[in-house]
Amino acid sequence: MRFQALVKRDVLVSWRKKSNIYQPLVFQLLIVTMFPLGLGAGAQTLAKIAPAVVWILALLSTLITLENIFKDDFEDGSLGVYVLSGMNLPLAVLSKALAHWLTTGIPVILFAPVTGMLLHLPEQANGILMLSLLIATPIFSLLGTIGSALIMNIKNGGMLLSVLVMPLLAPVLIFGAGAVLETTLGNSAYGHLMLLSGCAVLCLTLAPLAAAAAIKINLE
Amino acid sequence: MFAPVSFILQPGQLAVIAGANGSGKTTLLEALAGLSLLRRGEARFAQSAEQHVWLQNSHYLGHKLGNKANLTCLENLQFVASINATSVTQHQLELLLEEAGLAGYEYQFANDLSAGQKKRLALSRLLMLNKTFWLLDEPFVNLDHGGCDWLYAMIERHLKQGGAVLLTAHDQKKIHALADHHITLQPSAAEVSS
Repeated sequence: MRFQALVKRDVLVSWRKKSNIYQPLVFQLLIVTMFPLGLGAGAQTLAKIAPAVVWILALLSTLITLENIFKDDFEDGSLGVYVLSGMNLPLAVLSKALAHWLTTGIPVILFAPVTGMLLHLPEQANGILMLSLLIATPIFSLLGTIGSALIMNIKNGGMLLSVLVMPLLAPVLIFGAGAVLETTLGNSAYGHLMLLSGCAVLCLTLAPLAAAAAIKINLE
Repeated sequence: MFAPVSFILQPGQLAVIAGANGSGKTTLLEALAGLSLLRRGEARFAQSAEQHVWLQNSHYLGHKLGNKANLTCLENLQFVASINATSVTQHQLELLLEEAGLAGYEYQFANDLSAGQKKRLALSRLLMLNKTFWLLDEPFVNLDHGGCDWLYAMIERHLKQGGAVLLTAHDQKKIHALADHHITLQPSAAEVSS
């Protein structure tokens, strides 16, 4: 009940503040159009770097949205409303992560084939690209809750959040972009996807606890 | 921050915290609400030593009101109700908003309300949740005369029903007159000597 209420509220707030949803996609589109201009190269060179670029763009565009997971609630006081409601705090974190994934992760997954197309990513890699992002975007949201909970009372803490979260995201990028690259080379992406799923399970179990602890530290 | 304080609030009692700016009134209220850690000391509800029993029975309203700017008044209240596992009907919420002087604003975004109306919206949560203890940080600030009278009557009624209220207020002679306890926060000895 409480879990749904928090998810519903967050999705509604994001939906009304459309920039939350558009921002990552516009960011991706702007940068992806720069690549052909900067490289001045043909389709073949672009296709070679496409798996890495598409993945890095998905990751960076999500990264810029992570700060607000808890910051907005901290600033308007509504964090206190659900922390003091007696709701289980890791569960509250989980619902925040789910709401963030629904409003940021899903658009990023659906948009990935578009950035892929602009970089001449072979079409047969689209399936694995979206599958790898389907596994990885929840990791972004979950790790984001830890980062956001740590920096929520710091002004302009976005940079600090990136520094905190980026190292944790490095393995996710390696396995995710690796899976797409293997597919373009005609190999199986199975191993990469399995490792990626392992990361997802680890984050799902540990991130809510870590973020809840971070919230408590910041409230003290 | 401040010298040790200790007090017991019986059902139906009101305590007003006084002290200069920066003496720690908000810190004390936040600590009691569970929003910051009491370095030493505890709050208890009735005979129960468990802190969560105290937290379950108290409601805190601070300077940050906790309204979500781009939710309507009704949606804000509905969220607070469901996150506190309280079930209310739409009709009850409309009556509540009417009582708070927000009739006709049900579908307005909290962002579009005036400062006083935002306060009224936040205060109406007190009536909805039915907690025994109210911890209110400057609840009269931003309210107009009508709003102050409404809140005063609300506190009086809550005390009559066996609730207890702990608040900070400047320039509110009426509420000071009603208070059973006046708690004055003094700078702690360590700070004086330094």
